[in-house]
Amino acid sequence: MENSNSYSPYSSSSVDSTKPSPSESSVNLSLSLTFPSTSSQRETSQDWPPIKPRLRDTLKGLRLRQRGYHRALFVKVYMEGVPIGRKLDLSTFSSYESLLENLSHMFDTSVICGKRDIKHHVLTYQDKDGDWMMVGDIPWDMFLETVRRLKITRPERC
Amino acid sequence: MDLRLPSKVLEHIFSFVDSNEDRNSVSLVCKSWFETERLTRKRVFVRNCYAVTPAAVARRFPGMRSLTLKGKPHFADYNLVPDGWGGYAWPWIEAMAEKSPSLEELRLKRMVVTDECLEKIAASFKDFKVLVLTSCEGFSTDGLAAIAVACRNLTELELRECIVEDLGGDWLSYFPETLTSLVSLDFSCLDSEVKLSDLERLVSRSPNLKSLKLNRAVSLDALGSLLRLAPQLVELGTGSFSDKLDQEAVSKLAQVFTELKELKSLSGLWDVLPEYIPLLYSVCPGLTSLNLSYATVQMPDLVELLSRCSNLQKLWVMDLIEDKGLEAVASSCKELRELRVFPSGADVDETNVAMTEQGLVSVSEACPNLESVLYFCAQFTNAALATIAKTRPNLKCFRLCVIEPFAPDHKTHQPLDEGFKAIVESCKDLQRLSVSGLLTDKAFEYIGTHGKKLRMLSIAFAGDSDLMLHHLLSGCESLNKLEIRDCPFGDTALLENAAKLETMRSLWMSSCGVSFGACKLMSEKMPKLNVEVIDEHTPETRPDSSAVEKIYIYRTLAGPRLDMPEFVWTIHKNPEIGVSHLAIE
Repeated sequence: MENSNSYSPYSSSSVDSTKPSPSESSVNLSLSLTFPSTSSQRETSQDWPPIKPRLRDTLKGLRLRQRGYHRALFVKVYMEGVPIGRKLDLSTFSSYESLLENLSHMFDTSVICGKRDIKHHVLTYQDKDGDWMMVGDIPWDMFLETVRRLKITRPERC
Repeated sequence: MDLRLPSKVLEHIFSFVDSNEDRNSVSLVCKSWFETERLTRKRVFVRNCYAVTPAAVARRFPGMRSLTLKGKPHFADYNLVPDGWGGYAWPWIEAMAEKSPSLEELRLKRMVVTDECLEKIAASFKDFKVLVLTSCEGFSTDGLAAIAVACRNLTELELRECIVEDLGGDWLSYFPETLTSLVSLDFSCLDSEVKLSDLERLVSRSPNLKSLKLNRAVSLDALGSLLRLAPQLVELGTGSFSDKLDQEAVSKLAQVFTELKELKSLSGLWDVLPEYIPLLYSVCPGLTSLNLSYATVQMPDLVELLSRCSNLQKLWVMDLIEDKGLEAVASSCKELRELRVFPSGADVDETNVAMTEQGLVSVSEACPNLESVLYFCAQFTNAALATIAKTRPNLKCFRLCVIEPFAPDHKTHQPLDEGFKAIVESCKDLQRLSVSGLLTDKAFEYIGTHGKKLRMLSIAFAGDSDLMLHHLLSGCESLNKLEIRDCPFGDTALLENAAKLETMRSLWMSSCGVSFGACKLMSEKMPKLNVEVIDEHTPETRPDSSAVEKIYIYRTLAGPRLDMPEFVWTIHKNPEIGVSHLAIE
């Protein structure tokens, strides 16, 4: 089971002290060496390798283009009331559903399209005419052509 | 006999003392030297904004003209410091506005700067000249407009890798027609398009303009017309280098580049198409600095370009350069002092396999002045490190990032301990070191034994036990900044070497095994340190022995800070934590 030529303590849970470790001293059992072993887990890890945010964004865009995806489409996303925004590459999503899911995850709250709601945050976008519109009315592909930035509004207000 | 020199004479003598390190020594000699020095110091550097209060700095240096401040710890660059941690510029700007209104220069790094801050600067400092913001955030282009409109003697406005709320390109048009003093303008980190006509007018009325760094939105065509207006540029950051131009436009652009006789530094080059690279050939021989870290140029084109850069001293490039490209650098760029090679893939799986340790070895062997290295690579070997150490004992900064954590020597499968030993043994003036790959405690024993001049050390995914930290804290005499992530040590070494931390600027530890109890103990024992536990989950609901997420410890004269967010825990802000700890005992 263990490949004696490559040392690989990748684990997303606590280190097993019965596995050979590189030296005699014991590893603290309560410490989990949490370098995720799959690239999809690593996707959400924004802190390794140690490169600055701008380079990281540039590289993500590069990777997608190399894989034959259409051009990166980075737009800014702001949560109303929060001055610092995020950047999101819309070309990585195939539909409104995947966009909303990702935004909900990114902002740690429930983000929806369409009618206003006192509980949920509603997603709006600024189109190429500069107007602020509800997300979800037009077909996804058309949306990608016209969207310039996104704003997640506070509940109750639209 | 009174041997004291009159203060006027002292002042005159001290006016020749430039370096602040020397000035700090001068001020320790005696009271009258301290007084004279402080009254004559013009440039003040505060490398940790929480180490001292703004009021104390303003009081001590009433003649201050230039202030440099740093806020967040270095690992904030890699998303390890949560938003809202701190590093606010406001208290400093407010204090200086009141006590040092003659301030002319402000340089801030990793700080939160709001529009309010920028408006305050614009309103308070009548002779304000220089604003350089590096890796800052919190402001919008509105704040920039405030600076543009009010600072009539502005010479430098540089935004280096800042995160700015971009409300559009209008801010540039706020520079008044009367502003003719601009020497340096860097808005490369902004996204919005600025009005070309405003930019052209600004450039034409700035005869002293030496440095211009455009953002990606400035087209290749626009670049041509700007360069025609500023052939005196010494530093140029282009915008996007990818519009499709017709033959005539291309040859006109080539001509414009040949007019740039003073150009020494080139950067930008976003999206550069291979067919446009020859446009740069005419400036290559004069270049001392080339930043291609966003330019996805492939190896053959890089070779063509770099083989013409015989005077290059600083090269930043992506690993697309491959070993072959670095060999070309080795043979052409004999003046090279600094090399940085960045990964072209954001993930471990995507590292360019045609670039190995050999690339760096070639450059080390051939470039006698090489003293600063940052190298991202998939894997490395002890032999390569030993060769680099042997051929380049003059290295001052060596940062190796083997992208795959715990990667051993890929030929011998041994840890990289011996390789780093060679580095620290040979490079006696090494001041900054980043280690990576598979490393045992032994590596840190070597670093502790030999790294006597080491000031900054960065470590990730390394070591086996508390010994690693013990070696470093007890051995590295000059250690000033230590940042560690994902290493398996606990409390022992930290507590044993607590006194060392007062001789250092700061210590960062994240995802290590240090317990909450140890942090509390350190806090109690060492009142001159701020011990900050950064943890999203309330530590008080967990036993004292449990490890905390992140710890930032720094020495300070200012005492505990008053602006800590809820996820930062200290025994001062959260005394109830201290009490429950005592209750357990």
